[in-house]
Amino acid sequence: MEDFEFLRHITLGQYLPGDSLVHRLDPRVKISVMLFMTVAITFNVSYLANIILLIVCLSFVLLSKIPLGYILSGVKPALPFIIVLAILQLLFYGDAFVPYGTESRTILRWGWVHVTSGSVQLVVVSTLRFLQLLFLASLLTNTTTISDLTSGMEAMLSPFSRVGLPGHELALVGAIALRFVPILAEQLEIIMKAQASRGADLGAKGRLRFIQTTRQMVALIVPLFIDAFRRAEDLILAMEARCYVGGRHRTKRVRFRFQRADYIAYVLVLLFSAAMVAFRNRMPF
Amino acid sequence: MDAGRPIIQVNDLHHRYLRGTPLEVVALKGVTMEIYEGEMVGIIGRSGAGKSTLVQHFNGLIRPRERGKVIVDGEDLADPDIDIRALRQKVGLVFQYPEQQLFERFVGDDIAFGPLKMGLPMEEVRERVREAMEMVGLDFGRFKDRYTFTLSGGEMRRAAIAGVLALRPKILILDESTSGVDPRSRKDLLGRIDALHRERGLTVIFVSSSMEDVAELVDRVYVIDDGRTVMSGTTREVFSRPEELIRYGLGVPQVTEIVHELARRGKIPFTTVVNVQEGKEVVWKILNSSAT
Repeated sequence: MEDFEFLRHITLGQYLPGDSLVHRLDPRVKISVMLFMTVAITFNVSYLANIILLIVCLSFVLLSKIPLGYILSGVKPALPFIIVLAILQLLFYGDAFVPYGTESRTILRWGWVHVTSGSVQLVVVSTLRFLQLLFLASLLTNTTTISDLTSGMEAMLSPFSRVGLPGHELALVGAIALRFVPILAEQLEIIMKAQASRGADLGAKGRLRFIQTTRQMVALIVPLFIDAFRRAEDLILAMEARCYVGGRHRTKRVRFRFQRADYIAYVLVLLFSAAMVAFRNRMPF
Repeated sequence: MDAGRPIIQVNDLHHRYLRGTPLEVVALKGVTMEIYEGEMVGIIGRSGAGKSTLVQHFNGLIRPRERGKVIVDGEDLADPDIDIRALRQKVGLVFQYPEQQLFERFVGDDIAFGPLKMGLPMEEVRERVREAMEMVGLDFGRFKDRYTFTLSGGEMRRAAIAGVLALRPKILILDESTSGVDPRSRKDLLGRIDALHRERGLTVIFVSSSMEDVAELVDRVYVIDDGRTVMSGTTREVFSRPEELIRYGLGVPQVTEIVHELARRGKIPFTTVVNVQEGKEVVWKILNSSAT
């Protein structure tokens, strides 16, 4: 049965109100935690390290009290790509990836196909990494309101303003982009419903409908773009009507101050990430 | 009022958006209604009451998955095997601000979208487009090759409605489709819809927040509040209970309110008028009797 509920699949960037420990953390801490963890994730390629990292990311999710199923449901639309990518890596990567301190063993060789212990590890680790990053990125946006996120980003970028980096503007651009995602999803839903009402075969059964779907995209994208431009213009007018100028002289209603939990979270994750990077080549497997 | 056979039956319908996610919203919690073939029914309710969710069930954009049943022209919409495209052709749904959903470059092409999707021969498509454009008062020769985005707001609205009428639906649903255009266009459109209903026996479901439009146009009204059917009856019956309507965040047409007020002040016995014409008569009667 067809389903026009796109918001169901947009879990990234959707704020879920709550009162968990993660919700209450300072946005700067959350952004820093995400950065530290991302560094740790990109440095580690061993099985053990990635399992540890996944467990840590999972424990963040549990702490936030956001249903795991909700975050995972955001992967659904991207699943076909991930699977195709994983298969290609597994079959054709061969000796291109040899983890530090191991020797590549050939598991299967058949014509073009060359599966090695290295490519198996690459596929497994890539999948784990994908999950880790998804959990982190989802958590950050699921537990932080857009205005907090913007303020946090702005505060973290402010030291760079001396070298001419427009921190406030960058943060604002990011915030507006995030804010528009659900709006555009909703608008797309309306347009698709209107066209389905007129006989377009959208959202129909069958997995391999993407050829038709691609052709129909044109009919969807034209009204969607017009709508997006109109909304952007409205937003500009609304901001100008409120005399918005941005920049250095803007004051804040809420000032962030680190609490005890913030310090603890910050230090713990910093130490953990540093350790993970330091010991990346000493994992037993 | 000609009571034909029921063409839409809704029984204790429930619906939740984003079911099973933390953002779940309950939209319908027990709507029951029956719409007969060839009648003109109004659905009113404050915003967020569930009107749009309800009418999107009628052409299968939303399927009943929880409690409740929707049967349209003998077909149970919970059945996944029904021919949904045939149903959508039978039940034409026009959304709010339909002009925002135009996408073709030329007006004629946009209106032809539905018939083309039905796989009709070119001659037939052309004929349907011509007919649909005339139904909404757009001259076929003059408008078919105009750029869509050069039309005025009112003309775009008509073109969008024509796009649905070109499917030759048996049931036409207008979901707030006449709000937000200038008074003259609105009046003209309402007149044309009324004509379609009278001359072609089209079943019309009119969702609106304008009590005036509802009173003028429809025979029967359902009031939806908080996802439930809370009132139903002929337009006159429903508008004779203004206190209840106010409780549901609605009201009665101004002219109805004036006549109710006259009754309250003891000028006349309690009557409910539903249009200006009837209101005029009441006022004339009072003026005449006080003159003597």
